[in-house]
Amino acid sequence: MGLTTPKSALPTISPVQPTPEVVLAVVFLPFLAAAFTPAVYRLLGERTAYFAAAVALVTLGLVTDQYLAGADGTVAFEWIPSLGVSLAFHVDGLALLIAFLASGVGVLILTYSGGYMHGEPGQAKYYATLLAFMGSMLGVALAGDLIALFVFWELTSLSSFILIGHYTGEKASQYAARKSMLITVSGGLFMLVGFLLLVWASGQTTAIEGTTYSIQTLIAHADAIREVLSASGLLVPVLVLVGLGAATKSAQVPFHVWLPNAMEAPTPVSAFLHSATMVKAGVYLVGRFRPLFLPEDAAVLGEWTLIFAVLGLLTMTVAAMLAVSATDIKELLAYSTASHLGLIIAAFGFANSYGAEAGAFHILNHASFKAALFMVAGIIAHEAGTRKIDRLGGLRKHLPITAVIAVVASLSMAGFPPFNGFYSKELLFESTYYAAKHMGGIAWVFPVVAVFGSIFTFLYSIKFASLFFGDEPDGLGHVHRPPIAMLVPPAILGALVLAISAQPNLFIEGLVGEVYGSVVPGDAHSFSVHFPTELTPYVIMSIITIVVGAVSFPFYDTLHDGINAALRGPTRANWWYDNFVEGLTTTSVAVTPKVQTGLLRTYATWSLFGFVALALGGYAAAGLQIPAIDGLSVSIPIVLVLLVALVAAFAVDIAPSHVAGVLTLSIVGFMVAIFYILADAPDLALTQLVVETLVLVIFLLVLDRLPAFYGDAPDRTVSIRDGLLSLAVGTTVALTVLFSTDASPDPLLQRFFIERGGVPAEHPPFFADFGGGSNIVNVILVDFRGIDTMGEISVVVMASLAILTLVRMRGQGETQ
Amino acid sequence: MSGSSGRTTVISRTVARIVVPIILVTAIALLFRGHNLPGGGFIGAVLAAAAFALVYVIFGLEFIQREILDIAPDGSERHQLVESYRWMASLGLALAVASSLAPLAFDMPFLTQGVLFVEGIPIYHELEVASAFAFDIGVFFAVVGGLLTIVAEVGNE
Amino acid sequence: MTQVFLAVVLGVLFTIGTYLVLRRDVVRVVWGISIISQSANVYLVTMGGFDGLAPILSGHGGGDVAATSDPIVQALVLTAIVIGFGTTALALVLTYRVYEEHGTIDMYELGGSR
Repeated sequence: MGLTTPKSALPTISPVQPTPEVVLAVVFLPFLAAAFTPAVYRLLGERTAYFAAAVALVTLGLVTDQYLAGADGTVAFEWIPSLGVSLAFHVDGLALLIAFLASGVGVLILTYSGGYMHGEPGQAKYYATLLAFMGSMLGVALAGDLIALFVFWELTSLSSFILIGHYTGEKASQYAARKSMLITVSGGLFMLVGFLLLVWASGQTTAIEGTTYSIQTLIAHADAIREVLSASGLLVPVLVLVGLGAATKSAQVPFHVWLPNAMEAPTPVSAFLHSATMVKAGVYLVGRFRPLFLPEDAAVLGEWTLIFAVLGLLTMTVAAMLAVSATDIKELLAYSTASHLGLIIAAFGFANSYGAEAGAFHILNHASFKAALFMVAGIIAHEAGTRKIDRLGGLRKHLPITAVIAVVASLSMAGFPPFNGFYSKELLFESTYYAAKHMGGIAWVFPVVAVFGSIFTFLYSIKFASLFFGDEPDGLGHVHRPPIAMLVPPAILGALVLAISAQPNLFIEGLVGEVYGSVVPGDAHSFSVHFPTELTPYVIMSIITIVVGAVSFPFYDTLHDGINAALRGPTRANWWYDNFVEGLTTTSVAVTPKVQTGLLRTYATWSLFGFVALALGGYAAAGLQIPAIDGLSVSIPIVLVLLVALVAAFAVDIAPSHVAGVLTLSIVGFMVAIFYILADAPDLALTQLVVETLVLVIFLLVLDRLPAFYGDAPDRTVSIRDGLLSLAVGTTVALTVLFSTDASPDPLLQRFFIERGGVPAEHPPFFADFGGGSNIVNVILVDFRGIDTMGEISVVVMASLAILTLVRMRGQGETQ
Repeated sequence: MSGSSGRTTVISRTVARIVVPIILVTAIALLFRGHNLPGGGFIGAVLAAAAFALVYVIFGLEFIQREILDIAPDGSERHQLVESYRWMASLGLALAVASSLAPLAFDMPFLTQGVLFVEGIPIYHELEVASAFAFDIGVFFAVVGGLLTIVAEVGNE
Repeated sequence: MTQVFLAVVLGVLFTIGTYLVLRRDVVRVVWGISIISQSANVYLVTMGGFDGLAPILSGHGGGDVAATSDPIVQALVLTAIVIGFGTTALALVLTYRVYEEHGTIDMYELGGSR
């Protein structure tokens, strides 16, 4: 799979189709490697980390190959052709950026894990899941089909569940894993509903032939889709549904609660999932669907902006305040992540081009500084033995290199010029300013909130950096030097932060510009950022942020305590989550013993009652009339035979002994056999006769070993209650028979089988088109519905094996 | 009811000797003609199983083991008969699956059935060979094996 | 064709079967299930109608739809009968094993309450 185009430093202008094999390899190589990881672990032991890192490196190489080739387009493989679902991958700027982050940060994280995970339990599982997670994330990034996107989306939720719950024995891990699973998976299900509505809309418009699951086709016909959705009043519901998927994944308020708990995972997992990948999936989703929902001439405050800009700014501010209230460095970083994702979502929410630019650029910037900071936090926790903010300080002396990395990354996170975080935040300010300027009035809230939230961002960023300065607290023990494998990856990221800060336009031209092109409708213009030289309104906003932040930093502890004091009871989103889940648990505990009494009659009563209520309710709702009755409509022999069966069935009920009951039961069976003869069903009659004999034999054989009889003698109330329920069931059945035989549907199926079942008058020497037998029942069994028959004979064999097991293996297994 | 034949009468034993072969022949006839006349794998199978059940009831399980299959009736060999029934059921399932997979080799969909008309055969003139028959035989053996496993296992107790 | 008679017969059969299923003797429960499944088969065949001839064609060429009773329900019921045997036998063996393990076939005692 060599390069088909000559290498060049920048992507070529004319789009090149991506190479299908390479794209497939990018997504499935990590999964393949994950399958082999347990075996590799047996061979290499803890060095499996470097095997996994090598796999990630190969993946990164493949992504780079596509990037250098300037690939842009869709490759599709048939998956469910009958439903129009394909395994389609779409390569463009946004997909490549996320793929770069997933595989590139993946290399660093896996290398870092080699040092961090030394001596930890469950390493084979850890590396396998981490690789599978990386594959799912690459799948999300590259998916070009709604179903494929959904499948990979939920795969990231599943694998992160395993990663967050890595320490399976610990309560906190279990709680965290369950929480993230519940929130992100249910959000994904809402998203699926939104997707299906989009597919439905694609079927309604004439612009698209049939329905489509392809994201790019939907975007190409964005106007038609939006028109259909608006006309049916579904535009806002679809936005909300897809938004729920994004918000749960990207930990937006009020779904941010899972992110701090997810810090129970080993630190490399936190760094990977919560800086570069998993949480970026929600942002990716918003970016991917932006050109679909946001027309080129969008209103300043359309539905899209109202939902996403508000959600994003709210999250940015609330999460930043929560980060200030954090007492643990990883918790601080977790809230900070939610805050920065809010920034990106808010940026994508604005309809002007600055918003798209800010979002696209900040995805890259955030991944660079946040992954570095998480790894720094890992080093601190590993080497200083604590993650409590008030027990840390003066680390500069022990961890000099780490301190440099932390300062660079923190300043970038704070949005301090001239670091890269400053440029993207500046673009956000610009977009809020212009949105407010165009709209006026209430829209001025946007820039105000953006500055307000940024002040808190500045505060906690500086707090993080300050851990390396000042005096050492008394409790701090000896701080070790980190191993080289843990130091190189954050150093690389720190260097990346510096590189982007120094030459932002190089990265914008090379990659971010492409991302921008993916998230705007229509043709994208190129953009660049410059260090401000004049005093624009948005530069003033940055200055306010920094000055107010610097002035209020001495009062950090007061703010910290104040926010914590305000977080009581229902003001915490966690309070809602815990009470909801707790409530579900207690309700289940209360309800279960009432339903599951261990008595068959309880189950039977409820299910039969349910059947009666549903059937009769359905008939009443459909307004069925009792059909006119015109005579018996059956021949006299059938009447006689069935009457005998009735009498026999009644005799079963009052039989004085088991044997008498079985014999009368046989009479019912034989009468049914005669009924089949009279109903012109010779095959059935033959089978029924023989089976009835066999049943009799089996019954007698078993009864031989059972106690004679249990005096039933239930009390009168139970009898009457059972009788009433039985009568209700009987009446329902009688009504059902009346209604269903009254209808005379077109015998389409019947005609098909009767006409095609036999051998046609004219036929070739070998005839394989249809049935080819005169006994249509048998033709149906062995030919038309042969797969059913195969299932049925399997059932018979299974029943016999079950009996064999029941009888033969009684001595084994559980004993009373 | 693995007991001896002592509990049954001479009449029943004599009748069984005559009737059981007739039932078995009828069962096989039903299986063969099933594609065009009443009958088929299921019916033939339950009838054949009924014939065996009759032998159990009249003569007991040990009789079949000792007299027909020549298996020593000592305790360790007690389940050998059931073992062969189970094999029969598995064989039937395998045959059904194999016959439905066969069309794939001829580029036809799974479970395609066809009829081959062979002409110019003495007495019959024209013979229809239905591929569905192979499937039906599979059904027959699976059901016979399954039912007989059940009957023998219950009777063994 | 409205099948009044069959409606009444099936109604009564289901009533009896349901009443048996609610008894405390496990063997009676098995009887009840057996009666209900037989009645369900009869219902299916009833849906196919009684007017036609058996679905066996004479000679080659397609059959006459109006004069033939519905083969689909017959195919359904045919397998249902055989499977019904399998499940009845399984239920009986279970009953036997339950008796062996617990020494009773009384549902109340097995359920552990009342």
